[in-house]
Amino acid sequence: MKNNIIILGGGQAGIYAAREIRQNDSKSNIKILGEENLLPYERPPLSKDFLLDKKKEEDLYFHSSDVLKNENIEFENISINKVDFENKKLFAKNDNVYSYDSLLISTGSENKKLTLDNNLKNDIYYLRNLEEAKKIKEIVSNKNKITIIGGGFIGLEIASSLSQLQKKVIVIEIGNQLMGRIIPKQIADLVQYTHIEHGNEIILNKQIEKITKKNGDYEILLNDNSLIETDFIIAGIGSTPTVKLFENTNLKLDNGIVTNQFCETSIKDVYAAGDVSNFYHPFYERNMRLESYQHAQNHGICAGKNIAGVKTEYTSIPWMWSDQFNLNLQLTGICDEYDEIIERGNDINNGVIYFFLKNNKIRGACGVGIIGKVGRDIRITSKLSEKNTIVDKQILSDQNLKLNKLMQK
Amino acid sequence: MSEENWIEVGSTDSIEEEDLIRFDHQDKTFCVYKLTDGFYATDGICTHEAVHLEDGLVMDDEIECPMHQGIFNIKSGEALSPPACEDLKTYPVKVDNDKIFIKID
Ligand SMILES: Cc1cc2nc3c(=O)[nH]c(=O)nc-3n(C[C@H](O)[C@H](O)[C@H](O)COP(=O)(O)OP(=O)(O)OC[C@H]3O[C@@H](n4cnc5c(N)ncnc54)[C@H](O)[C@@H]3O)c2cc1C
Ligand code: FES
Repeated sequence: MKNNIIILGGGQAGIYAAREIRQNDSKSNIKILGEENLLPYERPPLSKDFLLDKKKEEDLYFHSSDVLKNENIEFENISINKVDFENKKLFAKNDNVYSYDSLLISTGSENKKLTLDNNLKNDIYYLRNLEEAKKIKEIVSNKNKITIIGGGFIGLEIASSLSQLQKKVIVIEIGNQLMGRIIPKQIADLVQYTHIEHGNEIILNKQIEKITKKNGDYEILLNDNSLIETDFIIAGIGSTPTVKLFENTNLKLDNGIVTNQFCETSIKDVYAAGDVSNFYHPFYERNMRLESYQHAQNHGICAGKNIAGVKTEYTSIPWMWSDQFNLNLQLTGICDEYDEIIERGNDINNGVIYFFLKNNKIRGACGVGIIGKVGRDIRITSKLSEKNTIVDKQILSDQNLKLNKLMQK
Repeated sequence: MSEENWIEVGSTDSIEEEDLIRFDHQDKTFCVYKLTDGFYATDGICTHEAVHLEDGLVMDDEIECPMHQGIFNIKSGEALSPPACEDLKTYPVKVDNDKIFIKID
């Protein structure tokens, strides 16, 4: 049967879903509606290699327009501003109406904004999309002393890139460590040390009281009355799922769109995937929302299968990375459910990993090291966790013993 | 091609099965693998970003990059999983008297 399948949101989850649907269903119409006038592209380089000019716009696209054409996947640049789930219709600002038989919502997430005086609204920059990355790149070329508000992954990656562009960078973080409490304090401290070593200033435990414009520059007053002078401000203070469109509908929302392990929402024939979805993970027996490259891809693929009628549970073990200076940080599984923590290594040159265990099985791990040093062990960790292996703690804690020894058991 | 292009990498027992070693020659880096059915060689640096694949994980016929989990087929060099999308160059390998040689062009 020929169906009209609409994918709302042309990002990573959307494009992977579209291609997966086509793999399993040669007939249906597949249309992606995206409000960015760009084919789906990778966001991770925006805060890293794109700012550093090591990657250009054309390097970021997942697929060329030829791939979409060959697979008969339509992409339309349009912003949807109303949905009618009952009659299965989407409405655009320009009065276009789109009818669907099945709908995938992959609208991603958006940056939280600082609450500020109106006259400052256009002065603070945020980074989520290519347009913003281009703007930041252009402006910073004429700036010298840049302040990043928020010491999360994206803020720190921007701080690392700008430092490599020879800028003086100050990071202001409200918490008592970088990257939030999910990251072991020891690892956050190692990353902080690397930033400081490269000349970045890191200010923890401080809140912003006031920002004042002064001759084109800014003065930031902190809650300890200290004053920071700066000529450009970027904020990275977290993100929220893009669900405003659905707030007055029957769609069940709770920190994103609630979905089951098949990417199905509370409304029949409506699915959700990627950053926007708070999904049930059968392995952890709980709901979670992830903002990561690997998840957007795998979740999109899983949604695509289910939309095409191939019933598939989403069981991917979470994984994400962050690159700052010559460090690569990786997280796998979940790091907030444990009865024991085991440390492997203590030198960033060889990699440092913290394993989070529950009942002698690995639930998650977080590692950081010079590029290349933690990836293999983190990958093996994901596999051990997925297989529910009872682990030998001696091997986990001794960097001289290879982790794949645990796999062969 | 002339005989000189075969470069000695090391002895066959220098690599464990389902594992790899890094081999540097002039200014290039290679990875030489021992799989269940023999020896293989590829470029030693990921095609996504400049990361040494020697620290990656070998699984069956695949090498997974330690940085962003890009995956390549060791035998064909084909990029199998994003963010890696450009194929990895492969090189012929021969074993002679328990010594591994790779042919570099
Ligand atoms: C700067 C940055 C760096 C990152 N770095 C890393 C990293 O190093 N490692 C990692 O694992 N992850 C990283 N991520 C996270 C990763 O990129 C995201 O998790 C991933 O892009 C999510 O994919 P998605 O398809 O769910 O959403 P998105 O890729 O955000 O796509 C959603 C799309 O939907 C569109 N949309 C929303 N509402 C509408 C509407 N009403 N009508 C039409 N279109 C709409 C949006 O404009 C957007 O194009 C990074 C993210 C950012 C922003
Ligand atoms: S550097 Fe190898 S996948 Fe990115």
